[in-house]
Amino acid sequence: MGTENPGRQQFPARPAATPFAAAPPQNMMPFSSSGPVVGSEASGFRPTPPAAPQPTVPSSMPVLGSEASGFRSLPPARFNDPSVPSPPTSNVPPPVGPFQRFPTPPFPSTAQAPLSRAPPMGQPLSQPPMGQPLAQPPAPPVSFRPQPQMPPVPMGSPPQSVNYASPNVNFPYPASDSTFPAPRPNFQPSFPGYVQMQSNADSPAPPIQSTFPAQQGGYAPPPVSSSSPFLAHQGGYFPPPPVAAPMGMQSQMQHLGSGPPIGSIQGLIEDFSSLSIGSVPGSIDPGIDPKALPRPLEGDVERKLFAEMYPLNCDPRYLRLTTSAIPNSQSLASRWHLPLGAVVCPLAEAPDGEEVPVVNFASSGIIRCRRCRTYVNPFVTFTDAGRKWRCNICSLLNDVPGEYFAHLDATGRRIDLDQRPELTKGSVEFVAPTEYMMRPPMPPVYFFLIDVSVSAVRSGMIESSLTQPQMMVVSDLDDIFVPLPDDLLVNLSESKSVVETFLDSLPSMFQDNLNVESAFGPALKAAYMVMVCMLTETLPIDKLYLEPTWGEMLIFQNTLPSLGVGRLKLRGDDLRVYGTDKEHILRLPEDPFYKQMAAELTKVQIAVNVYAFSDKYTDIASLGTLAKYTGGQVYYYPSFQSATHGDKLRKELTRDLTRETAWEAVMRIRCGKGVRFTSYHGNFMLRSTDLMALPAVDCDKAYAAQLSLEETLLTTQTVYFQVALLTCSKVVDVPVTINRYTASCGERRIRVHTAAAPVVADLGEMYRQADSGAIVSLFSRLAIEKTLSHKLEEARNSLQLRIVKALKEYRNLYAVQHRLGGRMIYPESLMFLPLYGLALCRSTPLRGGYADAPLDERCSAGYTMMALPVKKLLKLLYPSLIRLDEHLLKGSDLVDNFKNLEKRLPLAAENLDSRGLYLYDDGFRFIIWFGRVLSPDVAMNLLGADFAAELSKVNLYEHDNEMSRKLMRILEKFRENDQSYYQLCHLVRQGEQPREGFLLLSNLVEDQMGGANGYVDWILQIHRQVQQNP
Amino acid sequence: MELILWVVCFLIILALVASTFYQIVILTDLESDYINIYDTASRINRIIVPEFAVQGVLCAFFLVTWHWLMFLITVPLTCYNVMLFWKRQHLFDVTEAFRFLNAEKKLRFVKLGFYLVVFAIITFRLVLSAFIFLSDADDAMHLF
Repeated sequence: MGTENPGRQQFPARPAATPFAAAPPQNMMPFSSSGPVVGSEASGFRPTPPAAPQPTVPSSMPVLGSEASGFRSLPPARFNDPSVPSPPTSNVPPPVGPFQRFPTPPFPSTAQAPLSRAPPMGQPLSQPPMGQPLAQPPAPPVSFRPQPQMPPVPMGSPPQSVNYASPNVNFPYPASDSTFPAPRPNFQPSFPGYVQMQSNADSPAPPIQSTFPAQQGGYAPPPVSSSSPFLAHQGGYFPPPPVAAPMGMQSQMQHLGSGPPIGSIQGLIEDFSSLSIGSVPGSIDPGIDPKALPRPLEGDVERKLFAEMYPLNCDPRYLRLTTSAIPNSQSLASRWHLPLGAVVCPLAEAPDGEEVPVVNFASSGIIRCRRCRTYVNPFVTFTDAGRKWRCNICSLLNDVPGEYFAHLDATGRRIDLDQRPELTKGSVEFVAPTEYMMRPPMPPVYFFLIDVSVSAVRSGMIESSLTQPQMMVVSDLDDIFVPLPDDLLVNLSESKSVVETFLDSLPSMFQDNLNVESAFGPALKAAYMVMVCMLTETLPIDKLYLEPTWGEMLIFQNTLPSLGVGRLKLRGDDLRVYGTDKEHILRLPEDPFYKQMAAELTKVQIAVNVYAFSDKYTDIASLGTLAKYTGGQVYYYPSFQSATHGDKLRKELTRDLTRETAWEAVMRIRCGKGVRFTSYHGNFMLRSTDLMALPAVDCDKAYAAQLSLEETLLTTQTVYFQVALLTCSKVVDVPVTINRYTASCGERRIRVHTAAAPVVADLGEMYRQADSGAIVSLFSRLAIEKTLSHKLEEARNSLQLRIVKALKEYRNLYAVQHRLGGRMIYPESLMFLPLYGLALCRSTPLRGGYADAPLDERCSAGYTMMALPVKKLLKLLYPSLIRLDEHLLKGSDLVDNFKNLEKRLPLAAENLDSRGLYLYDDGFRFIIWFGRVLSPDVAMNLLGADFAAELSKVNLYEHDNEMSRKLMRILEKFRENDQSYYQLCHLVRQGEQPREGFLLLSNLVEDQMGGANGYVDWILQIHRQVQQNP
Repeated sequence: MELILWVVCFLIILALVASTFYQIVILTDLESDYINIYDTASRINRIIVPEFAVQGVLCAFFLVTWHWLMFLITVPLTCYNVMLFWKRQHLFDVTEAFRFLNAEKKLRFVKLGFYLVVFAIITFRLVLSAFIFLSDADDAMHLF
């Protein structure tokens, strides 16, 4: 345990070959010889009595018998592991017993090729006939190699059989079995070890022996005492020794090696990916084949492996860790130069059939840990015949309330497990019982604050606004008079017609308005007061003030607020400020009024969504603050014209008002002892050190948090995370104890996501388990935050530096044993990290300098990216580029067609064929690029009479021909796939400057553009920096 | 005369020490979740401006009474306060409270240390002047 890093390095040096060399004969050895060794190897098992039944080994039949009778063993069938149809049969035939599954053949080369130590690992997988994968966690080796934990002792001396025997003994199946004996439908046959391990991690660990009858052979498994779950657990992680080998192995050698079984190759491939950079000194050719560079053309592919290892974890769409292997020490964490943390999207949209189950503990109340307030989850374990449960986060033993009591079956799991989604699913929603409620749920209040200054009228913004109760004119800016809320706020269903009439009259009322000033601040204040009054009026008089309530304020702003409190100066876009130390101030709110207002609004649970329309500077940096700290969102429509942008506004406003929203929410992420979330990034306000206040939260918003280790060395083997989305009942001077969230339908619920992640002692493992999507998401938030206090360039540099450091650290892991030469190596999991890093540096909030993006666009993109879920962020960073004309010309069916359409092209101008028609889709807009020599029919069909006109003024709409209909269907299909924003079509023709430049060309991240790097240069630059000595 | 001056200064510095200490206590409470953030902000922000004012008065007081040394000791802090005030950064920021909590605490600890030093000096001068005053009175008595 204690020898982390040194341990790792020892491995290559270990005379690993010896055991193998000796192996063949020893395979036949009776257990008696190997028994003790096994024990020692399974360091986790303290007592490890060398176990009685050994003599029975030579024939496994008796073993089975004895086991079945002597131990509470499970029928093997319980693990519906297809590869272990019936253990007995597999065991019986060969008199050798369990060892038969590793006959000599797999080790033909053991003597000559020490390298093939690796094989045993993968074998069970690759050789189904061997048949006992249960004992050998085939996958783990690849993914988990906490070598340090392996006592080197057995390595050298033990007979080879140890290697095989050890898994049997090591695996904590006993415990796990008892907890979850029944085959979970989602158990992955190939990862039984893991599945079990995780479930068993929290097992109450009553001394339960036995388990895999077949595999156990003659062993009486050491009794697992109640304190040992972790130890046992640890056993579970043990890769069988051979596994360790590939770690330090030279990949090249391995490839040359004498045909190691698949498993080892797998291991190698997973070790790292490389990119050869063979630059010839002095030559211009960079030496990289641009085609060989990794590109995420498949989109964000979730890594299934981890989900399979921990099937009880919540879906990654809700919670993604930047690495699924938590470092066990601070020193290790500091060598992981990427952010360590999680991205949480608590209300992510679930596909049909995977909705989060709703649990109602009507009478017993919600089961939570007494001490740490953790909600009951699949990882808790029940003990004491079902009367107690142990919290997986703080390991406190809690009483099970009478109503919730259920007996445990022979294996220690509750008999009612099937009816308890909270014990089988990583994500559940609890219905909050009445005592959680301060008052009956109220419908949310929507308040529309509309700018009616002259520019707003001219742009037609008002016409397109949707619903609004009544108008309040704030006449005196300093002393705001608030009319009675009853007059002002209306019930939408009752007075729909009033609202509609009002909306119709709104444009005409102000059509003669010549007022160019905007009194935004006073109006905001008035709106706030109206909402608070409205809310308090419905309450008993003694709770009149500051009773939390909820609602949403939608602000439609067209000009810079110029009157009254909160007026802003035209400070924006001063060229001279860029590049100086004052640059970042432009991106900060100018007037503290906005922050104070945001805090006040959060306090009364009002979320603010800002819709900004101006073509001139509107100071989104200040206005957006309102959205940022109230859990809202910023929508920015530069140069809004209702004719072109009307659709987008309408769709996005509808989405805003109708998507599933949780009001008055707070969110907390709990995690196990030793780790702590230290910083949070996103659109919310922190109410206490770890409590995020979210007046409104919906499926389009994600939050990120960074972890740090509190203890120098973690002793646990697994860290659990639990995200609870809830609301506080009342803001008083005590820590929040009661929580709930209110869904739009008015019922209060608590949504809980639970996940587990292993603790590892090996840096390589951390890199292997990395999730580049979550890393990029955290990176983007950190970088955007950095632009608020530093220059853009510094933010970009620090991002680049972290990527370089990480790759350098990774390279150092392998540089000693490998001749890496000019190759750039990176873990497969981080294949796309450099590209995303580049895309991030070139994204709107971070790119270039003054001229590269207007300040307002920069800020609004920054606010948007701070809230984007991982998938959408990745799509924004590396949008899809799809060639359309072939599909349009082909007469094939749309369904097939759509599949083909998913074929994305690398984002480089060289992929744009001037005979083609391309669609660029970043999730926020479509850009359709017409090649210069695109066949005129296509253009004519798609654009009708406008085909020769200037495309900036042309709207795409459906024309009466097959091709146009098809295009519209295709676009519709893409929009359906990503509904959070409405993708408005921008049309651009090749060579149409400057529109082509800023719409498309500057977004082709692989091309060099202005001062920004292209992909090839970027890789070279990173590679050079990685190779530089520190 | 001198004695009155020092007594007033003593009271002022006592108030400053108390106010800073109070702010530190509140911030510590916030950190351990005994108080919510809105109360923290309103309590702290309520006393920040008076504190700045009182500190400025103390500084000005030393200037008009020609206590150069004391003036030079206190003037940097006054300048710092004025700068914060001009940049409108003097108030405790509710929205980013936890990000800057440690910095805010550190700032207040440094301030507290500074005030304590000034407090020590003032106390010393107070005792000294009281002693002088009393011994003068004694001398005067003896003269008679």
